[in-house]
Order: sequence, then structure tokens, then C-alpha cells
Amino acid sequence: MEQTLPLKTWRQRLPLHLLIVIGFNLLCAVVITHVLHRGGSFLENLVFSLCIGTLAWLFIDGGRLLLWGDGKPPGLPFAALTLVSLPAAQMGGSLLAAWLLGMHDHPVLPIHSSHAAQILLFSVLAGLTATWFFWNRGRLAYLEAQAEAEKARAAGIERQAMQAQLQLLQAQIEPHMLFNTLANLQGLIAIDPPRAQLLLDQLIEYLRATLGSSRLASTTLAQEFRLMQAYLGLMSVRMGQRLAYALDLPADLAGVDVAPMLLQPLVENAIHHGLEPRMEGGRIDVGAARHGDLLVLTVRDTGMGLEAQAAPGNGLALRNVRERLAALYGDAASLTLTPNLPQGAIAEIRMPLR
Amino acid sequence: MTAFRALIAEDEPVLAQALAHTLQRLWPELAIEAIVQNGVQAVEKALALQPDLLFLDIRMPGMTGLQAAEALAEDWPDGRPFPLVVFVTAYDDYALQAFEQAAADYVQKPVSDARLARTVARLQARLAAPATGDAALEQVLRQLRALAPPVAAQPAARLTVIRAAVGNQVRMIPVPDVIYFEATDKYVNVVTADSQSLIRLSLRELLDQLDPAQFWQIHRGTVVNIGQVTAAVRDEAGRLRLSLRGRSETLAVSRVFAHLFRQM
Repeated sequence: MEQTLPLKTWRQRLPLHLLIVIGFNLLCAVVITHVLHRGGSFLENLVFSLCIGTLAWLFIDGGRLLLWGDGKPPGLPFAALTLVSLPAAQMGGSLLAAWLLGMHDHPVLPIHSSHAAQILLFSVLAGLTATWFFWNRGRLAYLEAQAEAEKARAAGIERQAMQAQLQLLQAQIEPHMLFNTLANLQGLIAIDPPRAQLLLDQLIEYLRATLGSSRLASTTLAQEFRLMQAYLGLMSVRMGQRLAYALDLPADLAGVDVAPMLLQPLVENAIHHGLEPRMEGGRIDVGAARHGDLLVLTVRDTGMGLEAQAAPGNGLALRNVRERLAALYGDAASLTLTPNLPQGAIAEIRMPLR
Repeated sequence: MTAFRALIAEDEPVLAQALAHTLQRLWPELAIEAIVQNGVQAVEKALALQPDLLFLDIRMPGMTGLQAAEALAEDWPDGRPFPLVVFVTAYDDYALQAFEQAAADYVQKPVSDARLARTVARLQARLAAPATGDAALEQVLRQLRALAPPVAAQPAARLTVIRAAVGNQVRMIPVPDVIYFEATDKYVNVVTADSQSLIRLSLRELLDQLDPAQFWQIHRGTVVNIGQVTAAVRDEAGRLRLSLRGRSETLAVSRVFAHLFRQM
């Protein structure tokens, strides 16, 4: 799990950390010169601070990198590393600084100097402070990365659940629809066998299109229109003169990718709540158009109108479409219902062309 | 013996043709007088033709088969034999069990030859038996009562006040003040002792929000506040009418609901 976290690698952290270390050592030199009055010039103290501080950082962070890589180090061993590193850095850094400044008589161990205890204590405290600072920074970054990963995982699960739900929805061929079509088929076999053959062809086309698109997370507008053609063909046998329909898909939009099952609920809605309850029936026009970089799908009917379509219990299919649009495109997509004049309703989906 | 006459009401033309076709095959002497495509036409045609048999699809635009049967039972002329009614239902209509319990004649779509043959045999037997009064009408009334949609398990919140728009004001009418509700074309007329106001709601939606012990449906278009009814009177034609407290007009009770006003 830890390896998969998007933590920054040591290479990415190096420049910032170096800057922080230099800044911290500058602060130490100022404190030693002007607060502790240890003696020596600011420049001397700065060289000492830089040498000791940089070594301490190299020992601790380098050791950490060698022992645990870019991962999060375990607490106790890391504390031990820090405790060993700080005196070593104090000694090594002092030697290095003395050599750089040409102070050949500088004592190797600060115990002999007059402010020895004070300086050692200061170095250890400064080292601990710096280490604690970096440790917390690391932990914060780790926690942030963990939260990010958790969020990504949750989004992934949500996406999967939605996909599964979608596939279930598509696989569902409404049993009402199937039984009613079979009843018509049975009737036609008795009274008009050639038309029965035609209806059977349409049913096969519809089933093929439905089952075909249910296997895909995305389909083309041409396929969706073919499915609607088959569906409306079946419905027009059932409703006879009461249903007229037309589909209009511009050739340049035929290959556009869309999520499946966005159009069908709108057409079914127009049939069930718009035209079926209307004694004289009516017509349905399904169309697609490009408006800038938006794809606009319209289902226009001359049925009972908005009041009937928005009646309680009828809103489920529309809500599903809205939820799916929101999940797929966020605020960039919308579904609106407006009155059709002089009669009926217009359902319109707007979504980004992709 | 005169040929029996039938009327078919079915909104899907292929299914209507197929039913007529199968009926003719199983019952060649039957005359299928008309095929209509919705509930409203079914009522009009049935009243005009007065057939012996009525095949009523349940799901039709305009009026359901049940509503059409109810309207026919209310408006059927006295002294004429009421047709035998066979309901035709889609494969999974909620009502199948209800039809069984109400002992209503029904066939299920797609209609199988065997099932329709049994129905035809039963209908022929009943038509051959000497008519006894209004047996067919009584039977349909019993069936409709049994098939009446059950009171919603979780009734919608009860109305206490009717808000009716009158001009540019909204009139507040306490529900106990209402004497009766009367359905008109698209509205319901709310009648009190001294006012009438229209509200845009169906009678069915309104019924769900009223106390069924206080407000009784007495006709497919009328719901009365039973506390405001003073008497039920039979007129010269034998129809029941209710006289009301505070209103001079009387209200007709349909056959479907007449049983509510029998003496104790």
C-alpha cells in the first residue's frame, strides 16, 4: 500500500529541504552570535552551524533513505538514528568548519571548551527541532497522500458500482414490452402472416441492439438511433394509427460516442406518459444536433404534455437520466423538459461532444 | 334464436383484430358489431348498440376498462339487459388475483385459444339461461365493488382546508363546511352552503386525502359529506337521490353505490 502512495521521491524533495536546512542554520548562527554570545564572529558561527547542520541532515535523511527508501520510516529505529547522528554531526561538522576556517587548534570534542555543555546542548536541541520539523512534514505529506489515495479508491468504487448498475439497467428488457409485443406477434400470425414476419424482424433488431449496447460502457449515436428506430417500429405496430414517428440523425454526428441508455428512457417516457394515455395518439420526433461544442438530443412529442409527464411516479426515468448525466459530465450536461406547442412535451439533453 | 352481438374495446388494433378473429372461429354465430379503441368510445358505443357481450381491455386511454364498466353500470337504461362483461388484461396486471376473487370473467393477453374456448362456453351457457331480472348488472356491480382500488395503505395527509382560487384571491374552505364535491371536465367543483369554487384536482386524488368515514363517493363524479345528507329518496324512475342540509338541489346516487343507502 505504502509503495503505491504518490509521495514525493527524495530527488523531488531535495532542493526544498536543502533550502530549509540552510535557512535553519542561518537562524542558529544568529542565535549563537547574538543570543548566546558564545564569542566568535557571525561568519565563523555560520560556517560551524552550516557544517554541523548540513552533516546532521545528511546523516539523518541520508540514513533514512538508505535504510527505508522513500517509504515512511518506523518511529523507534528512526529516533535511534537521530540520536547517533546528532553527536556525530556535531563532531564531524566542528572539525570540518575548523579546517575550513584554518583554526588548526580547534578542539575536536567541545567538552574541553568553556561553553562546551551549552554548545552541545544547543546543537542537540537544534538538531532535534529540525528533525522533528522534517518528521512532521513527512508525516503530513504521508497523511495527505493517504487521504488522496482513499478518495481515489472511493471514486473508483463508485464508478464501478455505477457501471454495474448501468449494465443491469441495459440488460433489463422491460418484460411488459416483450409480452405485449409477443401478444401482437401471436395476433398477426393468425390474421396477417407477412406482417407477423415483419414484426418478428423488428423484434430481433431491437433485441440485438439492446443486448449489443448493454455490453458496452459507451456506444455511438448511430447505434442508439438504430435502437430507437427498432423500438418505435415495435410500438407503432402496437399503437397502429395512433403513433407516427421520425428520427433525424445528421450524418456527421453518426459516429459520436455517447453513453448508452440516455435516449431510450426519454422516448419510453414520451410513449408511456405522453402518447399512450392520449386517445387520439400523436407523433414523436427524435433528433440530434451540434450546438458549438455541445451535443443536443431532443425527443419531441405531441402527447399529454408536461403535467402528465412530470406527474408523481413518472419522474423516476428522468431522474435516472439526470443522475447519470451528472455522474458522467458533471455540470456540463443537462436534461430539460419544456412544453411543445401547441401540444405535448420536449425533452432535451445537452452534453459535451467528445 | 337471434344471433348474439358483441362489442370489443381494445386500444391495440392488432390485438383487437386477433381477438375478433379467434372469437369468430370459436363462435361463428356471434356477431361482432364494433371494435373501439378507447374507454370513452366503449361507453358510447355500448349504450348505443346495447350488445349482449362486452370485451373490455383494462388499460385503455381515456378511461380504463373498469371505469368504462362503472360508467355503463351507472348510465345503463332501466329494463334493458346489461351485457355480460369479459375483461381483457395484460400479462401482469395487478388485478389478476382481484379478478379471481371478484369472480369476474377475464382473459389474459396473449389470449390462448383454450382459455378463450372455456370463456366462450361459459358465456354461451349464461346467455342460454332464462334471464332473471338484472342478474348481469348485479353481477357487474358486485365485481366492480370487489375490484374498487383499495384505500391507499398509507393515506396521503388529510386535507383540513380546501384552497380554491377565485379571481385574484385564494378562498380558504374548511373541509367540514363542504357539502359535496362534483367532478366537471377538468376540475372539481367544491360546494358549500353558500359558495361554489373550482379546484384543479381529480376526484380520485381528492378522495385519497379525505376521511372515508365522512366523505362518501355516491357516483363516479360525486363525493358527498355524509353529515350534510338528510335523506335518501327514491324518485319515480326508481333512482336514489340524496337531499342535503343547506342546499336545495338533490344528488343522484349511482347503482354502483346504491347499496350504501339501504335501511339498517
